[in-house]
Amino acid sequence: MGTTTLMSSLTSLGALNGLTKIGADSAPGEDYKALVCILFSGGMDTFNVLVPSGTTVGGDNGFNEYRTLRTDLALSSASTLLSLNNPQCGSFRGFNCAYSSYGVHPAMTGVRDLFNSGKLAFISNIGTLVEPLMNESEFYNSQKKIPLGIYSHSDQIMQWQTSVPQSRDALGVGGRMADILNANNSNNGISMNISLAGKNVFQRGQFVTEYSISDNVDPNNVGLQSFPTWWGNSGLLNDMRTNAIDSLVSKTYANLLQKTYSSTAKNSMASFEIFKEALKRVPTIQTSFPNTGLSRDLLAITKVMSVRQQLGAKRQIFFVNIGGWDMHDGLMGGLNNMLPIVSQAMKAFYDSTVELGIAENVTTFTISDFARTLTSNGNGSDHAWGGNNMIMGGAVNGGRIFGAYPKMDVSNSNALNVSFRGNFIPAVSTDEMYAELALWYGVSPSDLCYILPNLGNFYSFSANSMPVGFMNFSNSPISNINHPLDCLTY
Amino acid sequence: MKTKILLFLALLFSKLTFSQELKTFGKGYTKGVSVNASSNSNSGIKTLLGTGFLPNAKASSRFLSQATLGPTFQEINTLQTQGIEAWLDQQLSLPPQFNLKNYVQSLHQYAFDSLHAANPIDYQTIEDVFVDDWVFDVAWFQGNMTAADRLRWRVSLALSEIFVTSRISAFDNNPYALASYYDMLNKNAFGNYRSLIDSISYHPAMAVYLTYMNNHATDTLATYPGSPTKKQVFPDENYAREIMQLFSIGLYKLNNNGTEMRDANNQLIPTYNNNDIAGLAKVFTGLSWSHSRYLGDNSNVNDLSYTKRLKFFPMDSSDKYIRSWITNPANWRIVYGHEPGSKTFLGQTIPSRPVQQGEQDIQDALNIIFNHPNVGPFISRRLIQHLVTSNPSSEFIDRVATVFNNNGQGVRGDLKAVIRAILLDPEARDCCAEKETNVYGHLRSPFLRYMNIVKGLNLHATNGIYRNVMYDLYDRIEQKPLNSPSVFNFYQPGYVPDGPVQAAGKVAPEFQMLNSLSFANYMNAVHRWVISNDPLEFWGLFSNETYKPDQEPRFDLTSEYTLAKTNRLREFLDKYNLILAQGRIKPENMSIIENVLKTMPMDYETNGDPDPTLADRKLRMGIFLILISPDYLINR
Repeated sequence: MGTTTLMSSLTSLGALNGLTKIGADSAPGEDYKALVCILFSGGMDTFNVLVPSGTTVGGDNGFNEYRTLRTDLALSSASTLLSLNNPQCGSFRGFNCAYSSYGVHPAMTGVRDLFNSGKLAFISNIGTLVEPLMNESEFYNSQKKIPLGIYSHSDQIMQWQTSVPQSRDALGVGGRMADILNANNSNNGISMNISLAGKNVFQRGQFVTEYSISDNVDPNNVGLQSFPTWWGNSGLLNDMRTNAIDSLVSKTYANLLQKTYSSTAKNSMASFEIFKEALKRVPTIQTSFPNTGLSRDLLAITKVMSVRQQLGAKRQIFFVNIGGWDMHDGLMGGLNNMLPIVSQAMKAFYDSTVELGIAENVTTFTISDFARTLTSNGNGSDHAWGGNNMIMGGAVNGGRIFGAYPKMDVSNSNALNVSFRGNFIPAVSTDEMYAELALWYGVSPSDLCYILPNLGNFYSFSANSMPVGFMNFSNSPISNINHPLDCLTY
Repeated sequence: MKTKILLFLALLFSKLTFSQELKTFGKGYTKGVSVNASSNSNSGIKTLLGTGFLPNAKASSRFLSQATLGPTFQEINTLQTQGIEAWLDQQLSLPPQFNLKNYVQSLHQYAFDSLHAANPIDYQTIEDVFVDDWVFDVAWFQGNMTAADRLRWRVSLALSEIFVTSRISAFDNNPYALASYYDMLNKNAFGNYRSLIDSISYHPAMAVYLTYMNNHATDTLATYPGSPTKKQVFPDENYAREIMQLFSIGLYKLNNNGTEMRDANNQLIPTYNNNDIAGLAKVFTGLSWSHSRYLGDNSNVNDLSYTKRLKFFPMDSSDKYIRSWITNPANWRIVYGHEPGSKTFLGQTIPSRPVQQGEQDIQDALNIIFNHPNVGPFISRRLIQHLVTSNPSSEFIDRVATVFNNNGQGVRGDLKAVIRAILLDPEARDCCAEKETNVYGHLRSPFLRYMNIVKGLNLHATNGIYRNVMYDLYDRIEQKPLNSPSVFNFYQPGYVPDGPVQAAGKVAPEFQMLNSLSFANYMNAVHRWVISNDPLEFWGLFSNETYKPDQEPRFDLTSEYTLAKTNRLREFLDKYNLILAQGRIKPENMSIIENVLKTMPMDYETNGDPDPTLADRKLRMGIFLILISPDYLINR
């Protein structure tokens, strides 16, 4: 992104701060919003998460088509699926949903409950795109731009985080949102972007980088360990050491690697005390979380959100990662083991936001490298493209499947299928999902293309026309005035 | 000539001795230079400057920081008289000095013998005793502490982070799988790249990790003779993709100097597309465990299965075994295990041949990969990044890749020659002032720092046996051998951190592991290892194993206590600056550290010796501060 764009974005910040609050807040008078990104790294096989359940031969026969295609990767019968009430899967940008009835994987009770109570939506056949591709020939036609390194983990996992699939850009969507909105937070000692998964591309902006924390948010676990008390003068030693570290990392270094190291070190040293103090105010969380890695991460987020005021945070973006989805082998057992972890953690996390009274202020969404081939490699599935993801929260227009679930068909008659293995061109771009989340989060429409440079290829801006429609905006968030600026087009 | 230089040296020293800046160890790059030992260097001046091949103390330490997992004071001293080339010759001629699998097996046997003696009913054979993956870590640490082939271990650690397999996988608990894979890397580290990728491709750990174990030919026939249902099975593409992307050629066509080629429209040129992957995936079909009866046989997999070369099955005769109730052979479903027909990838076609000769397909495919012009620059860059610097110049890559392409005797892929070319390259050896203003060097990875500490502080077990499970260590620093979170290693070679490195268009792979949390975690790890003096972690191999404190040694600084005297503190810090930081901590930063130490309380005993407790604390604080200095962390 060029400096010009950024300047215009920063200028518009003033306008944004002047706006009355956008969207719904369940906590009266409090302008707080959080986005939580859950990354399923490795490429989750989401066509076994959201599954067509119809068995009407000649009618909605989705399950049988699914089973024929997926052979040993198919769930055994439609009756084992947890059914979704009237998911209203319709059409999206010229793509039609192939089926009308759906269920989720039998291990995902929590997700089913959230969906049926209107707190969770699916987006179907979403993936990385530079510009819309309507069929296989457009995919192979070199006139259209397609994502770099398609089907490769390292590229696709990055592009889901940058939403700029034509380049190996190092800035992520969450980072660019924070570039625009960081000024909303009164205390920038702790970044707007907090990571439970260390360094990541999603949260990396031009001016904002992530603050990494562990799932143990006990204040005593933050920062430097103290000298043993039996050393007698440990308090003094701690101070002396802290001062020495501060001095060493505050020196000016000429070598660029040293410069980079010392700047991270310096910022980190400064943040520890602020974070530690805030964490001392965390209340007891009553919601019960399972003892899994993902649940521990999400519980830590709940606790951090509970001290948002101490941290001076009106906007926060969290990032968690759960790996292990690259199931080239042992897919069925693998999903049986791991999907309950996801489903239970998401349900507990949603419940904890209800407990804190911020359910409508927190929106959680899932991303993954790619979906996986519909056909089997004998015991698992390989890398593919478009898949299904989840959006959860009190402000979500839940209980619906957005986008367009593709036909379970790998023949040439399925225009979206680009491989005999069953790799589908996405109907929905990551840009469209992120644009909707960004508008909800408080990004001005005029800044959308700083965050999502390709958005103009997918979304024709007009007042009150949402990119996808999965978020509820309690009052009109966008008008004709603030058109997106500086969008790239092809 | 030599006499003249000696005279000059004498003058230089006499001058420096009275210089205020002179400290005791390695100050200036000329102290301690000796040219009266036989030297291969043809330039006395280069030697004087520490750039020749008979190095001074700092140059010694710097070389060893690239060529080993961390020098000891003793090694730094020895190298100064031995010379770098002689050291390399000696190291490159050493066969592997330590076998991890045998060590794992000996610990396993010891556990079995102990348990069997106490309870022969429950423990009848060694297989009744479970050994966990940390037994591999014990073996790895033992090897590192005792084996003389220091260069090999440095290179094999780099290889383990390029040709990644990890215990975060289906074989997570099996120390034999890890040990056998690591032995394979150790063996091939000084061999030929072509043999290395053959050994990797046939190793069960890799086959399980990248899921081509029991990989099957395309199968779209009826599920059994006469069935209306058809199979829809295609070769697994995982290994085909990663061997090209990560282990050999990468995504884009390269010039020999490592720069990316451009087409007429100034676009990068992909080395392969998905059709190439599908083509290569067909090659890696028909491989299974050495003891398998048929393709797809996962029965009777035990610890040792992971140590034996894969076996090839041209046909899938599993029906004979799985549907054993079918007695008429005509009703068995016998299909191809290995994909029949020709296979095309990277613009070359492996000819169609009987599937029984399918292993030749694999050899042909590995030859096609091996001979791709990208391999030299691709692998050279990776190795340079691990050993020396994150951003080698295109000239440096060109020189090393040229040696990869031809070692001078017409051999391609000679890793010994490549390692020598990297470590003796002027860009690796030249030091130091000009490196301060650019992006030279690399951030030491957290595990490398740990090994630097263990070696530099001279950890020593009295009986030479160490028991270190490295469990808490991994918890803290998130890195140890064969424990990468994915095939993309702990950090990726093209990672670009925010800030000046990005602005300069450079990379800094190890920074992918650096964030506010890992920064604190590292400092707290150093606190545990050095301040709390708890560097190792002993676990029992079986319940009720007697604790063996001598196998869990701690850092003993007793011999340095005398340096804790206020007037000798700088001497102490200079010494550890030399050992740990190659003498690269700047004087003003040394003063910051020295001032902290001076401020700490000190008492003296009646004989004038420092109080041991206070001396110990002081020295540990000094080492701690050296280890968290940016001057140490960026090895340049």
